[in-house]
Amino acid sequence: MVRMFIAFLCAVIGAALVGTVIQTQFNLAELTALSVDIDMSTRMATILHDLLHFGPVFALILTPTLLIAFIVARVLSHFMPRLERAWFVVGGGVGLACAFMVVDSLAPMPTLIAANRTLLGFLLMSATGAFAGWIFDRLWHPQPQELAEELPQ
Amino acid sequence: MKQFIISLCLVLSTTSAALAGTARTEILADNLNFPWSVAELPEGGFLVTERSGQLVFVSATGDKHFIEFDLPDLYATAQAGLFEVLLAPDFITSRELVLSYSCGTESANNTCVVRAKLSLQPPYSLLDTQNIFTALPKKEGAAHYGARMTWLADGTLLIALGDGFVYREQAQKIDNHLGKIVRITRDGEAPEDNPFTHSKAPEIFSYGHRNVQGLIYDAARDAIWQHEHGPKGGDELNKIVKGGNYGWPIATFGIDYTGAKVSPFRDLPGVKPPLYQWTPSLAPAGLALYEGDLLVTHLAGKRLQRLCLVDEQWQLEGEYLQDLNARLRAVYVAPSGRILVLTDSAEGQLLQVSFED
Repeated sequence: MVRMFIAFLCAVIGAALVGTVIQTQFNLAELTALSVDIDMSTRMATILHDLLHFGPVFALILTPTLLIAFIVARVLSHFMPRLERAWFVVGGGVGLACAFMVVDSLAPMPTLIAANRTLLGFLLMSATGAFAGWIFDRLWHPQPQELAEELPQ
Repeated sequence: MKQFIISLCLVLSTTSAALAGTARTEILADNLNFPWSVAELPEGGFLVTERSGQLVFVSATGDKHFIEFDLPDLYATAQAGLFEVLLAPDFITSRELVLSYSCGTESANNTCVVRAKLSLQPPYSLLDTQNIFTALPKKEGAAHYGARMTWLADGTLLIALGDGFVYREQAQKIDNHLGKIVRITRDGEAPEDNPFTHSKAPEIFSYGHRNVQGLIYDAARDAIWQHEHGPKGGDELNKIVKGGNYGWPIATFGIDYTGAKVSPFRDLPGVKPPLYQWTPSLAPAGLALYEGDLLVTHLAGKRLQRLCLVDEQWQLEGEYLQDLNARLRAVYVAPSGRILVLTDSAEGQLLQVSFED
């Protein structure tokens, strides 16, 4: 149980970090497309700001989403255990994509997360859910060869 | 059943805030469905727009009736609907007015303006309605239409527009109307002295706006004052000049609702900084001139603010109506000198306000 909790926590944090950096790059790319120069220090400061302010918000979206997605993935992997890793990866990605759509339908603004305004941004942000699925299953149920890599020589 | 009475309601806005002032309010009309703007008629009574799509006549005694009009492309949902009614400068002789509203469908809509004539006497109706402006491109969603209007001294009309929320970068491009203030003649033409007559959107007067909710021409100072909503923080008061870039979304004091930066910059070369800004946001919605001061009503902030100009800087002079605990949609100073305020709810009110000081 502790291992499962730690794996879930790592999955949420990992996806929140990667998703935050992705959305920051999309936002800054829109500005550079408008001929705004953004130097590296400004870019890094913006990433840091977003990690501190956007990251927790994204983690709030990720937590219930991944909880549901991983329960579904667990049920499916019970019937097809050889595809367990794939179910968690697909479940995390599809689950987050669905969560974005639900949030956008409930929020007063058409698109809550600006990076999701483009198809590429939406796919990449959703992919962070798949990344979370990979992290979770990798830590919770490492495959035999992964487990062997962790054993002391 | 008549839902309102002309009753005097003393509201003493005596909060502990140092700038809190005292104002008296009188309910002129209530049970208005999300009222958005009001115009005082010279023959008495008021025209009130309801965002849900009705134009209401409120008589001097408080009676109400709906005015018939024909806007077949009116799109009313969420932030979309019927917006501002503004009488022409020569209304007494011409009976002309302009109406702004959201036009189109869920998948393709934007802000439109029509010119029409009000019939001579009650029961009123709108006659000879004709479109004089359609903001382009038509876009998806029902957010950020702007739609406040004001007449300039030369008889041209300024129309404030919004960025449509998800199209914010378009506010920096002068080939469309998103996030702009446009200037047109009464016939809907782009005046030859507009700043971007060479562009695909020659009506543009200024750009880089997010969602303009207050716009007024100050004849005494020959200045145009405007305010607009920032996202989370960064609501701005600006002095609008021809061809000016007001920064959205490349420079802003606000951040996105998610906490993410919209832009790392608060100011940039070539961008006109705000003269006053509200962070955290109070959501200003309504702007009027009163004895040389600016009156600003706020939605989220649920108050009326009075700003005065000191050494070319707008400063907060007083705050009023906080005891109403109501979202305030608009404030007007009518030709008669009366200060009119609209509350924003399904049971909205038209209030007359007078300062005690």
